[in-house]
Amino acid sequence: MTLALLSAAVYAGLLMYVTTRKPPIASLLGTVGGLGALLLCFVLVRRWDELLPWALLVLAATYAVAIAARGAEIDEAAPLVGAGLLLCGELAAWSIGERFTIAAERAVVASRAVAVALLTLAGLAVSAVVVSLAAVPVGGGLGWTILGSAAAVLVVALTVRLAR
Amino acid sequence: MTRLDSPRVVAYAGLAAFGLLAGLVLGRVELVALAAPFALAAVVGAALTRPPELTGTLVLDRERALEGDDLRASLELSSTQGADRVDVFLPLPLELRTRDGNPRAVALAPGVPRTVELTLACERWGAFALGPALVRSRDRLGFHAWETQVGIRQPLRVYPSVETLRTMLAPLETQVFIGNQVSRARGEGIEFADLREWEPSDRRRRINWRASARRGELWVNEQHPERNTDVVLFLDTFTDVRTSGRGTLDLTVRAAASLAHRYLQRKDRVGVVSFGGFLSWLLPASGTRQLYRIVDSLLQMDVVLSFAAKGIDILPPRTLPPKALVLALTPLLDARSAAALLDLRARGFDLVVIEVSPVPFVRPGADELSQVSYRLWRLSRESLRRRYEQADVPVVEWKDGEALEAVLGEVTAFRRYARPARA
Repeated sequence: MTLALLSAAVYAGLLMYVTTRKPPIASLLGTVGGLGALLLCFVLVRRWDELLPWALLVLAATYAVAIAARGAEIDEAAPLVGAGLLLCGELAAWSIGERFTIAAERAVVASRAVAVALLTLAGLAVSAVVVSLAAVPVGGGLGWTILGSAAAVLVVALTVRLAR
Repeated sequence: MTRLDSPRVVAYAGLAAFGLLAGLVLGRVELVALAAPFALAAVVGAALTRPPELTGTLVLDRERALEGDDLRASLELSSTQGADRVDVFLPLPLELRTRDGNPRAVALAPGVPRTVELTLACERWGAFALGPALVRSRDRLGFHAWETQVGIRQPLRVYPSVETLRTMLAPLETQVFIGNQVSRARGEGIEFADLREWEPSDRRRRINWRASARRGELWVNEQHPERNTDVVLFLDTFTDVRTSGRGTLDLTVRAAASLAHRYLQRKDRVGVVSFGGFLSWLLPASGTRQLYRIVDSLLQMDVVLSFAAKGIDILPPRTLPPKALVLALTPLLDARSAAALLDLRARGFDLVVIEVSPVPFVRPGADELSQVSYRLWRLSRESLRRRYEQADVPVVEWKDGEALEAVLGEVTAFRRYARPARA
């Protein structure tokens, strides 16, 4: 219950941040994000972890629309949004995993809490590195585009491989 | 060992791909930054796929226990790789309950064995097989799980608790073997019975000199011999009325175990007939081995639904020896067992009916129709009791919580004041 509430709270905080970024379409973003929040609540109540990625995807899409509508200005808080979204997913998954009453040792619970915290912090660090690298004036060009495309294709290929 | 992958690994990789592609298409670094934590999580998830190589043994501290006892089940686990979280679950029958957590989650260090102990409370008698334990180990983030079974099946017999009985029902007639029951017949024994005139075959030590001196001729003492008895426990297993974990079959089995224990202690021969959907019997015999046979057969006792018409004709003749005391333990719910008992009486058996009352286990409904039905049901039971009493069969009602000895005392009183039944 605590984990589910924490997950929902993180999601709500991220949604609040996203909707306050671009006031002209805030209502539309709020509606879409609200649907995502409802989906997350449904996932947490019914313990249906297959739908959890869709709730995260809705918020990620809402954020994408928000920053696209915002213009060229870079959102420095993007690493926080990414890490927050990951934290929300991990807390929700942890909550769903504890749906059966299992007497867990304190060390087991502490170990998972530390692992989730470390993963979130590592994600935040990687994300911050990405944003700070983008600020370095290395110029654009076909090479960078090809490199980016290759990275994207690699991740898609990894996804397909894992899905099998 | 079965591996289960959390859908999160694929989902995180998918979200990372979405962010990277969207960032590439829209030219926004924020989306790449959004995708980066998920890409990291996917990589971590893909890396944590090392199976824990779990092994273990399940041990019970004993194979036999009494109802109400506690026993300890130890599950020793070890893993060469270690496991951040191991969920252990020992499937238990309804008759056993754990005092500790089951399932339980523990951590395993690499190469260090760990023992998980469970205290099991034996709440009801029965023959069980515990194990194997179900074990699921997970990595620290729960991305992957490995499920396996640990230990082999361990037999466990929980014997019904036995009530201490000081007085027992005496049969109307005894058998020919030496025992502890004072016979009504006259012969060699300890208990004085009567005086009679001397006969040529009488031994000199039996002469009552005082009576002989008074009468002027030889008179001898007569005694009641000590003989054994044959007792047949007739268990009606057609129906079981249960509520809140207790039922008539439980009481029947406990009473049968107590009676068998006590009669066998007295050197009597005891047999068992389980008369129900599944018919079983044990021929009367004496001794400790017979006690174990009876208790083991009682552990297998269960209600099997059957609509087949059954009478005592289907029983082998040796299960009901002549002059045997037949103690019937029945809830008086099935017409077949009620008719079989009356048939036994008609054939001259010394029959006692201990009615294991289902009334405490039945709750009448709240509406008027249910109340009327309940009253009619009680009246029909009363009528059946009268039929037994008209056939000189003592019927005593035994309710849950009452002492069995008090019920046996009622039978003794009935026999003292009622007309003695004769074959």
